[in-house]
Amino acid sequence: MKQYFPSDYLPLLVQFSAAAAFVVVTMIATHLLGPKRNSKVKDAAWECGIEAKGDARTPISIKYFLTAILFVLFDIEVIFMYPWAVNFKELFREMGSVIFVEMLLFMALLLAGFYYVIKKGVLKWE
Amino acid sequence: MLSIILLSVSGIASLFLGFNKSRSLLMPATLLFLLVALAVNLWDWNVPFTLSSAYNNGMMTVDKTTIVFSAILLVSALLVIPFSQNYIDRPQAQPAEYYAILLFALVGGIMMTAYDNLIMLFVGVEILSISMYVLAGSDKRNLRSTEAALKYFLMGAFATGFLLFGVALLYGATMSFSIKGIADYTNANVGNLSPLLYVGIVMVLIGVLFKVSAAPFHFWTPDVYEGSPSLFTAFMSTVVKTAGFAALYRLLAVSFTGLYDYWAMSIAVVALLTLVVGNITASHQHSFKRMMAYSGISHAGYLLIAVTAFQNTSQDAILFYSLAYSVATIAAFGVLILVADKQQGSEDFSAFNGLAKNNPFLAFVMTLAMCSLAGIPLTGGFFGKFLIFSSAFAKGGLNWLLIGAILMSAVGIYYYFKVVIAMYIREGKTEKIALTGLQQAAFVLSILLTLLLGVVPNLFADLV
Amino acid sequence: MIPEIIKTIPLNYYLFLSSTLFVIGVIGVLTRRNALIIFMSVELMLNAVNLLLTAFSAYRSDPAGQIFVFFIMAVAAAEVAVGLAIIVMMYRYMRTIDVGLMNKLKW
Repeated sequence: MKQYFPSDYLPLLVQFSAAAAFVVVTMIATHLLGPKRNSKVKDAAWECGIEAKGDARTPISIKYFLTAILFVLFDIEVIFMYPWAVNFKELFREMGSVIFVEMLLFMALLLAGFYYVIKKGVLKWE
Repeated sequence: MLSIILLSVSGIASLFLGFNKSRSLLMPATLLFLLVALAVNLWDWNVPFTLSSAYNNGMMTVDKTTIVFSAILLVSALLVIPFSQNYIDRPQAQPAEYYAILLFALVGGIMMTAYDNLIMLFVGVEILSISMYVLAGSDKRNLRSTEAALKYFLMGAFATGFLLFGVALLYGATMSFSIKGIADYTNANVGNLSPLLYVGIVMVLIGVLFKVSAAPFHFWTPDVYEGSPSLFTAFMSTVVKTAGFAALYRLLAVSFTGLYDYWAMSIAVVALLTLVVGNITASHQHSFKRMMAYSGISHAGYLLIAVTAFQNTSQDAILFYSLAYSVATIAAFGVLILVADKQQGSEDFSAFNGLAKNNPFLAFVMTLAMCSLAGIPLTGGFFGKFLIFSSAFAKGGLNWLLIGAILMSAVGIYYYFKVVIAMYIREGKTEKIALTGLQQAAFVLSILLTLLLGVVPNLFADLV
Repeated sequence: MIPEIIKTIPLNYYLFLSSTLFVIGVIGVLTRRNALIIFMSVELMLNAVNLLLTAFSAYRSDPAGQIFVFFIMAVAAAEVAVGLAIIVMMYRYMRTIDVGLMNKLKW
């Protein structure tokens, strides 16, 4: 095994500074080179030609919240499938098809929850 | 651990039963699920220890202790459910979800009694806690319920953080999540233990003591118990506490027997503090429900004495005490639910004034429950305390704790009898309260259990 | 299995880092009044634990710690779902999520 030293990371550092420098240089350059024509209309928040009014932080429908929460819940379950998928061949050799049935069972439980959510009408938008 | 699978499936089944228009099917179905789970749970009684352990991949153990603890949890749930009638009859109620979450909470509780691996402990604690956060806030129209849920949630999640950090440190020290693996490490490295282990034990203990509401980690308890709907307070103060103590004792007994000198003193001090805070504060309350919350804290103190004593008899004492405490508490909350319903939701002591005149049965149930909680002879609570004190006495060197506990029991008699006095002596009128058949059955069962535990304790004491 | 390169950073550093994160979380819970920020602090505590478990697991070539991290993440997601719902419920009543203003139940 090759021994690494902190100095071996120098290329990474160079790459990082090159990337950062590009951003900084571009921003400064556009700032200096570009023409500046400020006016009230130009500075206004763009709202499809309609005049801007009110605060952007208005209460939004609870539906978004529910959808987002459900997404988080179902999304996170996939992490249990990664170790299963990675080790599937080995486990299959050891335990046979049980290992596949177990994941089907897991998915069935999730689907039961999903079916419940749909039946409850949580995802109905209208 | 078939009961876990069964309860999970029946929880899902209960959710789908809720799509049925008729609500009348739900409660009988839930009771049926629980009875089947109880039967399945007891079915494992003679299963050889090694077989069940292998079956669960070293994650859980089925032995007589875990079966009895699980049975206590299931019996508590069986006794609580009949009193849900008033609560689910409200138009905005979601009974299917309540029952499903109760069933899921029991899954968590059983996992906490039977875990062999800290992953299972964590998952069990969280299933139970998250279910209880939801149930605490289930009375959505009531600001107090919402506030209770928020406080419970924030404090519970905070405690979970401590529990997890402790588990991580234990893992760092021992390279094992299995409680037997941790025990092997501590036995193999006596005198040369990693400092991570000591910090880890303290953090895990903080996390678990939080969940069983021992002082000084009790401050969330009164608010949460008072704000939650009484039905779920009854469930919370019995099932969560029993499961928490099962988990605590299991962890200490399996993993940290060799480190008794390290943790015993701190648990003893916590026990005394819990007793003093719980009992003294309980005697100042105007609200019966809040008094019951503080009484729950004080009973955690008694149970901690048994943990400190750590004798062969301690586990039996904890089992016996949990059963007596759960039965009496549920009976008391059952009466409270029925009375508060008639008294415009008032949960103060004054709501009980003159209850005995028109409702002698309810008054009798309440009196018996209070006697049991106070530890009057001929009730289960007396023998529970007796077993705990005698195991602490057998340990020796804990006399200061015992004296404190006995003094505090005397304070307990004062506040438990306040409600008895209100029922029999104070003037007031409560009309006749109608009981459903199931509620009568639950009351009769709790009376029988309390008296049986008090008169023939050997029947239960020799069980394990 | 584990590249030796990982171990050029001593394990203790991870311990210090995650302990620091954990303590920041604890202080956040104890000092802030906003329920959401308290909740975020709790999540920080959980993530400190995740980091610690992963570090132990990687340094000792034992996968169990990483499996535990998966469980923590899944459970934390469930907790987020319930917790945010409770906070939203609170907000609809009080129009605020300042825990200092919650006094219907006396502390």
